[in-house]
Amino acid sequence: MPDKGKHHRKDSLSPLQRLDAYGKGLPVDRLPCVPIVGNTAARVLGVTVGSLRNDDRTLADAHIASYRRFGYDNIRVFTDLYTLAEGMGARIRVPEDETAFLDEPAIRSVSEISGLRPADPYRDGVLPEHIEAVKRVVQEVGDEVPVTAALTGPFTNASFLIGAVTLSRLVLKDPAAVHALCKLSLESALAYAEAVFAAGGTPSLTDAMSSSTVISPKQFEEFSYPYLKRLVDFIHSKGRPATLHICGKTSPIWNRMADTGADCLSIDNDADLLDARRRIGDRVRLMGNVHPSAIMLQGTPESIREAVYQCVAAAGDNPGGFVVASGCSLPTETPFGNIDAMLDAVREIGYPVHAGFGRTAGKNSIK
Amino acid sequence: MSETSEQTLFRLLSDAVLNMDEDTAEAAAYKVIEENIDAYRAIENGLVDGMNRAGQLFEDEEYFIPEILLCSDAMYAGLDILNPHIDRSRQKVRRKVVIGVVEGDTHDIGKNLVKTLLDAAGFDVVDLGRDIPPQKFVDSAIEENADVVALSTLMTTTMDGMASVVGLLRQSGLRHKVKVIVGGGPVSQAFADRIGADGYASTAPAAVKLLHTLFQETAHA
Repeated sequence: MPDKGKHHRKDSLSPLQRLDAYGKGLPVDRLPCVPIVGNTAARVLGVTVGSLRNDDRTLADAHIASYRRFGYDNIRVFTDLYTLAEGMGARIRVPEDETAFLDEPAIRSVSEISGLRPADPYRDGVLPEHIEAVKRVVQEVGDEVPVTAALTGPFTNASFLIGAVTLSRLVLKDPAAVHALCKLSLESALAYAEAVFAAGGTPSLTDAMSSSTVISPKQFEEFSYPYLKRLVDFIHSKGRPATLHICGKTSPIWNRMADTGADCLSIDNDADLLDARRRIGDRVRLMGNVHPSAIMLQGTPESIREAVYQCVAAAGDNPGGFVVASGCSLPTETPFGNIDAMLDAVREIGYPVHAGFGRTAGKNSIK
Repeated sequence: MSETSEQTLFRLLSDAVLNMDEDTAEAAAYKVIEENIDAYRAIENGLVDGMNRAGQLFEDEEYFIPEILLCSDAMYAGLDILNPHIDRSRQKVRRKVVIGVVEGDTHDIGKNLVKTLLDAAGFDVVDLGRDIPPQKFVDSAIEENADVVALSTLMTTTMDGMASVVGLLRQSGLRHKVKVIVGGGPVSQAFADRIGADGYASTAPAAVKLLHTLFQETAHA
């Protein structure tokens, strides 16, 4: 075992030590585990969800408190997917104690695209606060846990700029306009990514609209892949690993998601982990896929334990590695006990996952 | 008008919807009126047939959201022209559905899809839009004398609003009269059961089937 560092009282390694050793095939205490905590962090700190969004100190403190409370293996500074689009002119509604949402896209029609400018991470919207929060988290716990910042994929961001329905129509009617929106979004994303690196963090890609629940694999190829690839390349140019999260149905695009060069693919409960392991498991680390609402929010510690066992049975021996995780960001009101249950199950399973585990733990993927 | 050319025109309407061809849908709809063909049958056997075929391709993962949106544009283009010419006396009674995205959420692709397929399936759909407070669903259900309230959300943060709608309907003494169906990314059958909804559908075509099943059950009850 590597030297002990700062770690959760129930673990024997810090997340950085664990991930480093796990990546090298060295002994570790348990599999990495990331219940994807978003605004639940506000609950841990005891503040309103709305107060996180434009206050770097509160945002940082909430994520630090949540990490320390649960001991998971990655901090993701995140409040909602709209910060980049907001920096480009989209109007976001921020309820006092609920997750912010898109109120009005930045523009209504293709003719307005020429008026859009890429976001400046040091000036626009709440991006400066989020960058500052990354810096604070890194200063506080960056020596024990990876600190990431959510970065919305260009195609998804484009949907916030002109509206998802309009963008969907343009995919078939005016591909050039979609590319123009994606290019602007890419420029914003690259600028934000650069600022995240400067703050000591790593961007983590999330691209909901690129899901095969929304667009076809062919449309993904044209409108999502090239832009995601650029972002992955950029992250690699900084010597950092890239994680790509796409929710909804993704099996038709797994190969291309891996082709972006992403080191870790985060998939949700619409995807079959066993199938993913079989098809792309030797190329990438997999991360997933306990149902964020049906299981993490509404389940019991026992049903969560069962779900974790099923995930580990399906992908715990993935050649490219496996991170036990929720399929998507956790709902704000996810009970703390359920998050503890996820980590406790992973601790209980330990590592290496013993032979024959899959036979005793059930083979069904989580739906 | 011979049977054959009538059929040809219906096929043209159906194909126009399937091929996302608004212009052809409009032209064929005008032709229907010009030829004095029954508008109701042209809708059923033409436009709706096309939308059903598109819905099937969506289920088969050959069509995705962009294609379905353009198919529905073509369908509505035709409907706008044909609707005023329907012989109302011949029309069967249609179930009324009040649909909307619950408060705190502005994702409406899924809801629009369900609305389109319900329209195509012969339901009379009242679309409230997005970011709708619970009370508004109830008020509209009363106002419209609705048979169904259909709730959609893509965000876990807004799911509680669905439970509120069920509670408010109960308080208004309407619960037994109105079916409540729910759908959207974070929603599940377990959630539907927990809040006391009548059903959950994971896709737009499934929502249509769900309502057919629910009303069949009532009919046999």
